Amino acid sequence: MKKRHEQKLIILTLLLLLCFNMPLLLIFDNAASLGGIPIVYVYFFSLCVFSILISLLVIKRYYE
Amino acid sequence: MNSIVLLIILSVYLGLLFGVAHWAEKRGNSKWTNNPYVYTLSLAVYCSAWTYYGSIGVAATSGLNYLPIYIGPIIVIPVWIIILRKIIRISKINKVSSIADFISLRYGNSRFLGALVTLICIFGILPYIALQLKAIAETFKVVTKTTGEFNIFSDTTTYVAIALALFASYYGTRYVDASEQRKGIVTAVALESVLKLFFFLLLGVYVTFFVFDGFDDIYAQASQFADFKEKNTVGGIPQAINWFFLCILSLFAIFLLPRQFQMSVVENNRESHIKTAIWLFPLYLLLFNIFVYPVAWGGNILFEGKSVNPDTYSLLIPQFFDNQFITVLVFLGGFSAAISMIVVSSIGLSTMLSNNLLIPYGFLGRLQSEVQEHNTKKIVKIRKVGIFVLIIFSYIIYRVFVLEYNLFSIGMVSFVIIAQLAPAFFGAVLWRRGSKKGAVTGIIIGFLICTYTLLVPYAIGITNADNSFITNGLFGIELLKPFQLFGIDYLDPVPQALFWSILFNTMSYLSVSVSFMGNYRERNYAEMYVNIDHHIATDENAFIWKGTAYTSDIQKVLNRFLGEERTKRALNLFRLKYNVENTQGLADARLIKFAENLLTGHIGTASAKILISSVVKEEKITLPEVLKILEESKENILINKKLTETSKELKAITAQLKKANEDLILKDKQKDEFLDTISHELRTPITAIRAATEILHDDDDVPVEMKKQFLSNIITESDRLNRLITKILDLEKFDSGLQKIYVTKNNIYLTICETIKQLKQLIENKNITIDLISERNIVKAFYDEDRITQVLNNLLSNAIKFCPNQDGTIAISIKETDKNIEVAVEDNGKGIDENDFEAVFDKFYQSSNQNIRKPVGSGLGLAICKKIIEHHNGKIWAENTINAGARLTFTIPKYSREIT
Repeated sequence: MKKRHEQKLIILTLLLLLCFNMPLLLIFDNAASLGGIPIVYVYFFSLCVFSILISLLVIKRYYE
Repeated sequence: MNSIVLLIILSVYLGLLFGVAHWAEKRGNSKWTNNPYVYTLSLAVYCSAWTYYGSIGVAATSGLNYLPIYIGPIIVIPVWIIILRKIIRISKINKVSSIADFISLRYGNSRFLGALVTLICIFGILPYIALQLKAIAETFKVVTKTTGEFNIFSDTTTYVAIALALFASYYGTRYVDASEQRKGIVTAVALESVLKLFFFLLLGVYVTFFVFDGFDDIYAQASQFADFKEKNTVGGIPQAINWFFLCILSLFAIFLLPRQFQMSVVENNRESHIKTAIWLFPLYLLLFNIFVYPVAWGGNILFEGKSVNPDTYSLLIPQFFDNQFITVLVFLGGFSAAISMIVVSSIGLSTMLSNNLLIPYGFLGRLQSEVQEHNTKKIVKIRKVGIFVLIIFSYIIYRVFVLEYNLFSIGMVSFVIIAQLAPAFFGAVLWRRGSKKGAVTGIIIGFLICTYTLLVPYAIGITNADNSFITNGLFGIELLKPFQLFGIDYLDPVPQALFWSILFNTMSYLSVSVSFMGNYRERNYAEMYVNIDHHIATDENAFIWKGTAYTSDIQKVLNRFLGEERTKRALNLFRLKYNVENTQGLADARLIKFAENLLTGHIGTASAKILISSVVKEEKITLPEVLKILEESKENILINKKLTETSKELKAITAQLKKANEDLILKDKQKDEFLDTISHELRTPITAIRAATEILHDDDDVPVEMKKQFLSNIITESDRLNRLITKILDLEKFDSGLQKIYVTKNNIYLTICETIKQLKQLIENKNITIDLISERNIVKAFYDEDRITQVLNNLLSNAIKFCPNQDGTIAISIKETDKNIEVAVEDNGKGIDENDFEAVFDKFYQSSNQNIRKPVGSGLGLAICKKIIEHHNGKIWAENTINAGARLTFTIPKYSREIT
């Protein structure tokens, strides 16, 4: 894997670290329902899905 | 449910797992046991009984705080591609078999550091194993609806613990080389990971969609609780700070927990498996967490006001609705989660215990004097007993201490203790200057702070909740209150302990490392760890060592642990790798490192070093010397890299030159042929002229008729000669680029008509029919009229020449395409040989198959045509028509486009 593509994954980690912590975290810190699930859970789960998809994309495309 | 029935189910289930382990161990390297999915699933040993039951308990009683345990790993997993790969490479090369080996090797093969890391791990993990036993015991009670059992002999957990101890000590110590992979255990753990997830999801679906009416229903009922909002949000900024520290804590844990190190590094048999783990493992964690919230709140709704342990909601809910089947499945899932953690942890710990504590500090002397069979048996026995003792010891902890704490809090304490290895561990792979003294100081100080802020209060808290130490601080000093150290009161005990311990740990690691000069060996390993990618192929080269050693001495030591046959094989491999002579008596640095690596898997890195250094005589090297050598080798690597690059470039240039040379040779040949042909072509008319003039010169009596005939011949031949020379000059002009064309807007239709007019005589002589096919009679194009006339003249003359003497037809068609005008001239003659479609445009082309087309004319016409058309940015090509006649087509740019 080229350095450039490895760096994409590092950036993903930095992004996750920011999104999963304050102050960004507190924006979505809400227990109101979104399809029966509190918004804060929905936020976490969608971040996870996002991270999984991006990792999958980068790995499938650039891993040598 | 009846205890006996449940016990039978348990035994069958355990039997199944043992069977799978046995099968996998036998199959060895089949694709069923050696694939990225088994690897990823085996990493899911991270999800222990704590995940299975504890998460629900936390979600039900205190809210979101269980989530950071999974968020930490999810954050850091994308960078596994860099960090974990590096760790795996280092471990593979150095035959590292545990995290204690990994850290102690990096800091100069330090025996003390290895032992320290081992102790920290044992301190951290034993209560954790106890926690798993506690989970098994409690859930067993819930399922069988029995109360606590205080008699050791009738407590089921006793037997489960013994069975697990037997299982782990049998499959965990199959190989005396601890860095060897244990396929059986890995496959069994992977299977358990699938089962525990599946059963947990099954429960989630059952609770959400069968007990309740979907997510909305649970939400609607749960939101009636007064504390619902508070428990389903992070809260304010102080809570978010706690949250941050918990994320960091679990981020460390995914690297440092002995069971994670065991599975992700030691049991990894292919680096590329990481690429699957990077997306699949977070997905696994995500799936595990989806139903935690509904189950927890479902439990809160169903058991409101009743005193039940929320940790066991997952069992109580199906039991409440009398669903035995789901209850047992959930219990088996939790049981799987617990036993995989126990087995893997105890294997990892026992390897550390034997290789980093017992052997280097106790047994090494005795092992040194024994033969190989005896040693192997002894080492395996130490580990077997180690596993057994560890599990039994955890069982004692469970019986004596942890009965009162919930799953979550014990797990957290374990994590904080293990986290003390973080600075030394990450420093090992990222920072060259990190030193043994720094690592040792950091770990000890960190651990002491943990003891003060967590272990002591927890130990006291078991018997005395209102202890003055916790409420008033040490000696009654406010600032020293263990849960509010130095007055920080907004952090929970665990984040607080982590913050202070890691702060002091890291600071002492950094400051001691930069303050004192390290040992040269540390620096040597630092270079190998940090720059592993450079040393991966020839790792032994990077080891710096000076002194005298004899191959035979080293061989003797190896014999004692590997046996004679394996030693011989290993040494042969070494000789092959480095191309060393068999007879060499003196050993070099590479052999010493190689021998140490061989021993490391068996007896740990520190003992390996001690053993080898006991038979060799090492000269002291100073740190500056090592640094100099490292610098030189780095330069060498750079120079090597440059050299390879340069040689690659040279190769490319050579290839180009070769091609150019071949072209030149071909051109030269063509030139020779061209000269040959040209002189031949020029000589023919000259010979004719000369013959005629000679006759006229020698014989005055030639009749007037004949004289006239001769003179006319001379004129024709001179004309021919003239034409030929003009053409050669033309071609030469095109070739040298002197020829210019002057394009203007013209009507190609008209030009063709003009050309036909010029050739009228010839056409009529042969009685040829000409068809001019065009949609319109004004077709505008950009070209040099004189030159295109020349081309058309040439093509038509050729067509006329090759038309049969009877019924000859020539078709000229004009076609307009998007950008070009296409003019095709076809005759109904004999056609062109397929192989010669390109060659006809060569100078002095003569068909190789003379039967098809006989060379008539100068042989330069088509070559000139090609040049002219190419100067118009067009194309010209030859093909055969359906009737086997020849068709020559050329294109010129349409009027609308500019010629460049």
